[in-house]
Amino acid sequence: MTVTVEPEVFRFVEFDNAMIAEVGNKLAAQLGIDRPIVVRVDETTPLGRVRATIGDTIEVTVESGAFEDSKRPRRQSEVATTINLGRILLRVRDRLHGGFGEAPLDDDIALAQMAAWETYCAGRLSRLGLRINRQRWLYNFRNRHGFSDKADAAFDAVWAADSLTWVQLEAISDAAVAVPSSA
Amino acid sequence: MADPYKPRTPFAPWDRRQLPGLFDVEESARRIGNYKWAEMKLFETLGGWVATVPELDVKMRLGTHCYHHAWHAELWHKRLPELREMNPDRLTKPANDAMVRFIEALSEPEAAEQTIEKLVGVYRVFIPHFIAAYTFHRNNTSEITDAPTIRSLNFALHDELEDWRDGEMLLQSLIETPAEVDRAAAHQARLEKIMLEAGGIAGPGSIGVE
Amino acid sequence: MRKFFPVEELARDSRFTQINMRQAQADPRTALVGPNAARRAKTNRLTPSRPDASEAARALMHGIFVGEIQALEGAGRTCHDFETATGSNSAAGTETDSVPFALKLDMARQAWDESRHVEISVKLGEWMGAEIGQFAENTVLFEAACSTDPVMRLAGVNRALEGLAIDVFTTMKEFGEVAGDPFLGFCEDWMLADEVTHVKMGSDWLRKVTENDPERRARALEFQSIVDKLFSFGGTRSESSDSPIGLARRFRELAGFTSDEVDEIADVSLAALEDRKAFAAAAMSSSGMSSSGMAADE
Repeated sequence: MTVTVEPEVFRFVEFDNAMIAEVGNKLAAQLGIDRPIVVRVDETTPLGRVRATIGDTIEVTVESGAFEDSKRPRRQSEVATTINLGRILLRVRDRLHGGFGEAPLDDDIALAQMAAWETYCAGRLSRLGLRINRQRWLYNFRNRHGFSDKADAAFDAVWAADSLTWVQLEAISDAAVAVPSSA
Repeated sequence: MADPYKPRTPFAPWDRRQLPGLFDVEESARRIGNYKWAEMKLFETLGGWVATVPELDVKMRLGTHCYHHAWHAELWHKRLPELREMNPDRLTKPANDAMVRFIEALSEPEAAEQTIEKLVGVYRVFIPHFIAAYTFHRNNTSEITDAPTIRSLNFALHDELEDWRDGEMLLQSLIETPAEVDRAAAHQARLEKIMLEAGGIAGPGSIGVE
Repeated sequence: MRKFFPVEELARDSRFTQINMRQAQADPRTALVGPNAARRAKTNRLTPSRPDASEAARALMHGIFVGEIQALEGAGRTCHDFETATGSNSAAGTETDSVPFALKLDMARQAWDESRHVEISVKLGEWMGAEIGQFAENTVLFEAACSTDPVMRLAGVNRALEGLAIDVFTTMKEFGEVAGDPFLGFCEDWMLADEVTHVKMGSDWLRKVTENDPERRARALEFQSIVDKLFSFGGTRSESSDSPIGLARRFRELAGFTSDEVDEIADVSLAALEDRKAFAAAAMSSSGMSSSGMAADE
């Protein structure tokens, strides 16, 4: 399937349209995503959120910080591009094929549940050979579920999993949350 | 409980401190002025080098040791007026011209690639000479009349020995080739020769041998 | 070894990449204006409830880490770069090329404190999943420590930038406490205690050294104000909820700032925030960007 990237030419950042498309195509093939993908980069913000809308075409909206080389502001990092595109495309694949039909829209997912889903994605990406900092995701998981042995055990289970459903993921996350809160 | 009014010896049987000492007030003050000057030069040099060393562990150690030597300088600065030297600046001076040249040679390396030279100067030459001079002073001054100096010397010696170990271990971890062994040895020899000329931190007699 | 070490030559291992303030300011992107700002929550303040909280906290921790390295280097250089004042100058250090002995001792003490802060930051960074050198290092703190007048260094580093550190540590301490992190709040509180001491050192020495030189004091305070504003560029720190880092009034007052001085910093920081918004809006406009974040003709 074809990945197209907007804009063609970047003005605020030194990103490479072709490289993003190449990374996207490779990931789509690796993850078995069989629909066209449009990646729209918002280069006006240094933040790093990535969102996706699934239709006949998968539309991915990326804030430029997600593809940026954090050592060299405004320049692109192929590693960051791969990891962050990989994370969102895994979530897309989960929704399309992986038992995530019951999952709410991204905006309606609690922060703890989103952290659990991100952990599930990061663990699988690490097993695909990408260089993922496990501690980074553990810290995020702890921030959302509490700094406890119970939360760490839940993290380990999610990180190592390859075939969770949304219902299973939600149950693990809900059970691990130490104190229900907005976090 | 023992009778509190029963006369006891002023010095307990295990207290073997003696009155005699090698140094009178003037000599003790002279040496302490030299120590203060040398400790100041050392902490200033260590502070200056922090920005010049790329190795993160070394950078942090230099910052830590910088304060140790500043504190020693402060101890000596406070001791001088107690030794009738009401103007501490007057005695805060190098033992001789060779000590000035020693400091110039010690602080000369600046390049990022010269961490070995920097550490050799401090931990294989300067600090061992501090340990020697302080140990000699502690072991030869009057244990009773000069007790405040002994107390400060003991604090300083504790730091010097700990810092020497830190520095020596950093050096052993940085020296990886025979060429670097030669570099370290050559710089040590260069500085040691100047120190020999100086006669030690407090000049000839720093460790009793003139 | 030279007196006065240039910022461009700060020694770092191969993991680090440095940028200066000019390069940082040249980035026209911001989350403060445009379509993203409208979509964002009501506050940008760094709290665990922010969706990007972990990322933002990790990046800030790395910023603290490199800031501590530069603060260590700056304090060390002040020990080395100036002669020790003697004779009638010894208390005040009235010459710009010399400083009182006791001021040097304070700088050496600060060097040790900053060394510990680097150690703490490395450990906290690992805990949070950051890697050494993962983010670009802005060298602005050491730039403020390059002045050839020690009083300027006290104003720029101890009062302005260490003052900022008080604000940053207070924000991070609160973040750690709300998140339930067993280490973050604990460590930040210890570092905060040290920073209050460093700012107080700066306040006390600035007052003492310029006691008989009001003109020099005025120049130093003006420099502090410039550094305060420079470091607020991007709206990083202000009392507005648009800023990730708040202004820690109570700790600043403990550190020797008067209420008027804190008010002035609050005003300067707010002005910097507004400047940044205007700069970003102008950059977007000149690039043909509409409020949708896409080129106007698309």
